[in-house]
Amino acid sequence: MSDFAVGLISNIGMITFVALSAYLLLVSGSISFGQQAYFGLGAYAAGIATTLWDWPLALGLAFGALTGALGGGLVGALTRRLHGLYFAIATLAFAEMTRLALDLWRYQRPIGGELVGPDGPNGFAGIRRAFTDGWEPLSFMILIWVLLAGTMLVLILFERSRSGAALRGAGEDPVLARALGTDVARLRVNTAAAAGAIAGLGGGLYAHLNTYIEPRLFDVMLGVHALAYGIIGGLGTAFGPLIGVLIDIGILESSRLFQGWRMVVFGGLVALLLIWRPRGLLDEATVRRLRRLFTTPARHA
Amino acid sequence: MIVDIVQTLLNGLAAGAAYALLGVGFTMMFGVMRRLNLSYGATLMFGGYLGALLASRAGGALPDAALVLLAAAVTVAGATLAGLYVERLCFAPLRGRSGVAAMVSSFAVWMQIEEFSTWLLPLHTNPYPAPFNVASWQLGALTLRPEHLLTLLVAVLVAILLHRLLRASRFGLAVRTLSDSPAAAQAVGIDAGRTTLLAFLAASTVGGIGAWLVLVADQQVTPMFGMWSMAKGLIAMMLGGLGSIPGAVAGGLLLGVLEASGQALFGPQIRELIAWGALFLVLVLRPGGLFGRAAFDLDIAAHQRL
Amino acid sequence: MLDVKDVVTAYGKIEALKGVSLSVEPGSITCLLGPNGAGKTTLMYTIAGILRPRRGSVRFGGDELVGQSADRVVNRGIALVPENRLVFPQMSVTENLAAGAYLRHDHGEIASDLEKLFARFPALKERRSQPAGTLSGGEQQMLAVARALMSRPKLLMMDEPSMGLAPLVVEEIFRIVGELNRDGITIFMVEQNAHMALKVAHKFFLMEQGKVTFAGAPGEVAQDEVIRRAYLGSAKAT
Ligand SMILES: Nc1ncnc2c1ncn2[C@@H]1O[C@H](COP(=O)(O)OP(=O)(O)OP(=O)(O)O)[C@@H](O)[C@H]1O
Ligand SMILES: [Mg+2]
Repeated sequence: MSDFAVGLISNIGMITFVALSAYLLLVSGSISFGQQAYFGLGAYAAGIATTLWDWPLALGLAFGALTGALGGGLVGALTRRLHGLYFAIATLAFAEMTRLALDLWRYQRPIGGELVGPDGPNGFAGIRRAFTDGWEPLSFMILIWVLLAGTMLVLILFERSRSGAALRGAGEDPVLARALGTDVARLRVNTAAAAGAIAGLGGGLYAHLNTYIEPRLFDVMLGVHALAYGIIGGLGTAFGPLIGVLIDIGILESSRLFQGWRMVVFGGLVALLLIWRPRGLLDEATVRRLRRLFTTPARHA
Repeated sequence: MIVDIVQTLLNGLAAGAAYALLGVGFTMMFGVMRRLNLSYGATLMFGGYLGALLASRAGGALPDAALVLLAAAVTVAGATLAGLYVERLCFAPLRGRSGVAAMVSSFAVWMQIEEFSTWLLPLHTNPYPAPFNVASWQLGALTLRPEHLLTLLVAVLVAILLHRLLRASRFGLAVRTLSDSPAAAQAVGIDAGRTTLLAFLAASTVGGIGAWLVLVADQQVTPMFGMWSMAKGLIAMMLGGLGSIPGAVAGGLLLGVLEASGQALFGPQIRELIAWGALFLVLVLRPGGLFGRAAFDLDIAAHQRL
Repeated sequence: MLDVKDVVTAYGKIEALKGVSLSVEPGSITCLLGPNGAGKTTLMYTIAGILRPRRGSVRFGGDELVGQSADRVVNRGIALVPENRLVFPQMSVTENLAAGAYLRHDHGEIASDLEKLFARFPALKERRSQPAGTLSGGEQQMLAVARALMSRPKLLMMDEPSMGLAPLVVEEIFRIVGELNRDGITIFMVEQNAHMALKVAHKFFLMEQGKVTFAGAPGEVAQDEVIRRAYLGSAKAT
């Protein structure tokens, strides 16, 4: 495989983590413009763990996910009374605070003769753990996709479980869900933490693949894109976000089709798509139809 | 010392007056649609880019005063025109349907308008024609900057005109009924589609004027302006209480003062952090906005299922 | 005056009206009865031009209303007092009334109509600058009626005006309905309170599951077992 392909496929995988994170909240009825914050926190945390504290890669990635979960859970708890637009804007405010705080934050140590660590707006370079441990771009790409597949599997199993149904129910009608005995506030905090963990894991992978991160990578653009991917792909299934990322990064960006005009084309296409299908390509009704298509013949056999 | 405080306050109020207009435009759009227009900043940036384009193409041929006025007209008209495009493409077709879809659609169009603008003027920094060859005035120890006076003056004027439009005209009545209760507006025969479109355009115009005030003070426009002006409008709108126009004015002024004092106390890097931090705190502690709205519970019901 | 023929109105795939036909005579009080979910509100909204029917026709004084927008319908002389009152909660009583006259341009007349309505509804006059959301349920219902009258309708459509109100207030509303009718306004009302409705109505229709299943004059009702079961029975239970 060419370096370009490996880089592209890795990239699609990592962005899908953020998109999945936004999707999970969306399914629970909350719009978040701020999942990039946990992606960023995960990236910094994992980078610091493996580079400054010399933790092994696996632990570093876990630490990144944990940091994302803590951040997501904290914001989820603070904003548990907020709904709709209020919640969306609170998440945006927190994400921007995080980015601006990272811009101010310095935490460096001499390692191997040079200063390493977060250096405000200059970013954090030299996160080389993965490559000193012998990971190649190709094997790291496989690692990303194995972790992504695992995450998606968990999400899909969860969506089919009773708590998954409760989550969707709470998203569609919180008042009804409360009346049916769901502890909606707690469910929302837990969901926010889980979504933070997913984004944090993606961030840890991102830091180790690129070896360099800086605060401005985690700006609003990333967050709103993540949200948009879920809606474009469809709110009916966890594959939705992946499809959204594939369409944007996989097809439009990589093909260099419409170069220089990609956003003009993509933006227009998305607007038209949403008039036609306001809940995305794979919306709930389509997913149900597809599922029937695949399960009916099996029953006859 | 006292002078410093007064000076900071003055600077803050002047910046805040422009923020207030950005917030008012945003609030009007929200009021009639109950949707967040994410491409708001991009449409303002488009207007700004048209003004800068005019300066770069025709700058030499025009007298300074004419250029400044023409740039102002082009910027406000450009913002309004882009607003028309956004309303028709993103909001009108989805009216009464999924709010998330409309929001994401307006985000996609943000990207579109931004790319188109930077195609018009590919450089990062583009000079924007400004009327200030005059030096600042000294009033005792206070410095009065001409752009501050202009901003305050124009903002007050626009606020008065807008107030009259909303309170004393037939169109204003329609806009207010629609913001208050869309279902009731329908029952008395108010044309929601048309009223929304016109209110959206009026809001784009107000935002365009706010953007112009910022641009003449900065004397330049960059691709960051879309994001930046949306952030300021959003914070102004939410600080004062979502959906209230006087709230947005107060929120804008407060934001200006907060930023100016933050910068005076802790330096320029803290400025933005304070703005977002204040917004986050207000949302967590007093979601109805600082200037309080008992109607917050109603809002929860109305916006729960965006 | 109003002729509804074979109207079918659907929400997505679900047909809420499955071919409704009825007519309202000029000068009459006509009542539409029926259990919850029968489609009464849907019919009102369809006539008002807020919902578009799939099929059928709605004629008013000879003009076809289907396909006309809601503001045209108001202009023709039909005003709706919607279900749940739907006042503008944050606007003052006076502003609510002004909104009712939104489609009129005769400013002088509007001002004198306002004073006439205040004379008819003194409670509203006292609260003229209060936000409508702070009025009591009964006052809000009066306001919704007054707001509809501000458009000077020939036909006043009322959707469950007595819903959730105390018996005394309900009496008051029916007294006003009678008064308006004597003033020459035709009334077409949906009512759950069958006893009251049948006292004032000249004619009534019973609607069930999207269809008109019975039509008649109040005198015939008590004998009719169908109505007793389908309607009066359930009304007594509540
Ligand atoms: N907005 C809507 N979307 C989908 N279905 C609707 C909608 N509004 C009403 N319906 C359905 O249409 C049918 C008729 O409703 P409608 O409100 O017209 O009944 P109604 O006779 O006014 O009932 P009620 O006495 O409870 O007011 C019901 O089955 C209802 O569920
Ligand atoms: Mg009804």
